[in-house]
Amino acid sequence: MKKFGMLAFAPIVAALVVAPAQADPARDGILSGFATATKAANPAFSGFSAKRGESLFRTKHVGGKPKTPTCTSCHTKSPSSTGQTRAGKPIEPMAVSKTPTRFTDPKKVAKWFRRNCKSVLGRECTSLEKGDFITYMLGQ
Amino acid sequence: MSPADPTKRPSKTAIWDLPTRLFHWLLAALVVVGSVTGYLSPEWWMGVHIWAGYGIVILMVFRLVWGVFGSEYSRVTTFAYSPREVARHLHGVMMMRPPHYIGHNPTGALMIFALFFVVFGITVTGLLVLGGEENQGPLAGVTSYAVGDIAKDLHGYLIGILFVMIVVHVIGVIVESFLGRENLVRAMIDGYKRLPEGIDHPQPRKAHPAAAALTLGAFVLIAGAILGGLNRLPPTGLHNMPVNAVFQRECGDCHQVYHPSLLPATSWKGLMQNLDEHFGEDASLDESTTQQIETYLATYASEVWDTEAANRLRRVSAKTPWQISSAPYWLQKHKEISNDVFARKRIGSKANCVACHRDAGSGRFDDQMINIPKE
Repeated sequence: MKKFGMLAFAPIVAALVVAPAQADPARDGILSGFATATKAANPAFSGFSAKRGESLFRTKHVGGKPKTPTCTSCHTKSPSSTGQTRAGKPIEPMAVSKTPTRFTDPKKVAKWFRRNCKSVLGRECTSLEKGDFITYMLGQ
Repeated sequence: MSPADPTKRPSKTAIWDLPTRLFHWLLAALVVVGSVTGYLSPEWWMGVHIWAGYGIVILMVFRLVWGVFGSEYSRVTTFAYSPREVARHLHGVMMMRPPHYIGHNPTGALMIFALFFVVFGITVTGLLVLGGEENQGPLAGVTSYAVGDIAKDLHGYLIGILFVMIVVHVIGVIVESFLGRENLVRAMIDGYKRLPEGIDHPQPRKAHPAAAALTLGAFVLIAGAILGGLNRLPPTGLHNMPVNAVFQRECGDCHQVYHPSLLPATSWKGLMQNLDEHFGEDASLDESTTQQIETYLATYASEVWDTEAANRLRRVSAKTPWQISSAPYWLQKHKEISNDVFARKRIGSKANCVACHRDAGSGRFDDQMINIPKE
């Protein structure tokens, strides 16, 4: 009886969890923060581009650490696939559709962009790059 | 020796009772098991080695009891000879005419006592190694790593002595069989010896199995109570380390969480101060998180543990002092493991301790907990 009850609620719960995933207020806040910063640096800025984000994700960069020339080194070529750290731990898919909690914790976002941009590009990423990246993953 | 009496014929007589024969061959078998698992088998056979050791302890205790309550020639008093008798027998052997003994001869008896003490020493030192180095067994709560380390050397020396003694023992049996014209090996299998002409049929005392069983039972109760009590003591050198959630999360996001006892405090501090160059990646953290994890690691670093891993891994590589897999002890213990093994899918790298050491998270690294994935 109990089991049946839970099963009956499952679609409702799933809908509640999945539906707002694409439009999370915390993530919107993070994204608009990057937009403001980009606009301040470049008044001609007209919005983030998923295409530029994808290019950032797939390009083999130079200047970073030799073992991690591209995001796909660990995240795999498909944002909806589970990645793997160099030490073997799984990384949840970057695609927001697969991992709805992506880009919703400002501290985490700051930490991982800082670390991984340095590992892959050898420098911090710009607000434009970060915004493009998140925009790309939002559509995945 | 009494002169030959034509009325007495050579005849077979039961000399070694079944328990004594079983004791002899089981002891021999367990010594073989112990030697193979100690010297030839991979580390994860250590469990079998330990059980062989416990088996030998049980056999020795049994033999002591049977040496009091067994049948005539199993009793210790029947082969406790004076040094003079040993000398007389050895002299006889050298003259190729050893005096005849129905049970153990004096030289053989001397070997039995010597073997007993050496085997006893091997089991005691083995238990000390187990308790001190491996933090296992009844002595784990009362034996430090340093004591276990000394015991390990003694364990090896005593086994070397035992091997020499076994060779001498076998040569003695062959020589005595040849000189005395009787197959002593067969006697230890079927229990019968042929009495030479002129030797009276002995009037052997019977065994008292009930008394032996009672004594053994009492021993098991007392020894069990003592061992049970000792087993309650927590192993020396291990701590009840609090779980640090920040450490678990921040480090565990990318790799298995290494036990703090695997590096000395200076190495942990160096590692935490260089997170931007962390084994080929930027793993930097904010100031306060870094400090928090560094304090935790330094507090529970190898200096405060007395496990085998902590003791051995305190010596770090001079070039890469915070890489556990380049410490001299690590390299020595893994030298027979090829890179192909580390490259297997379920292992991946030398950094993945827990892939093979199932208890890596506790910092114990017990030999029996090793299980190398086949793929």
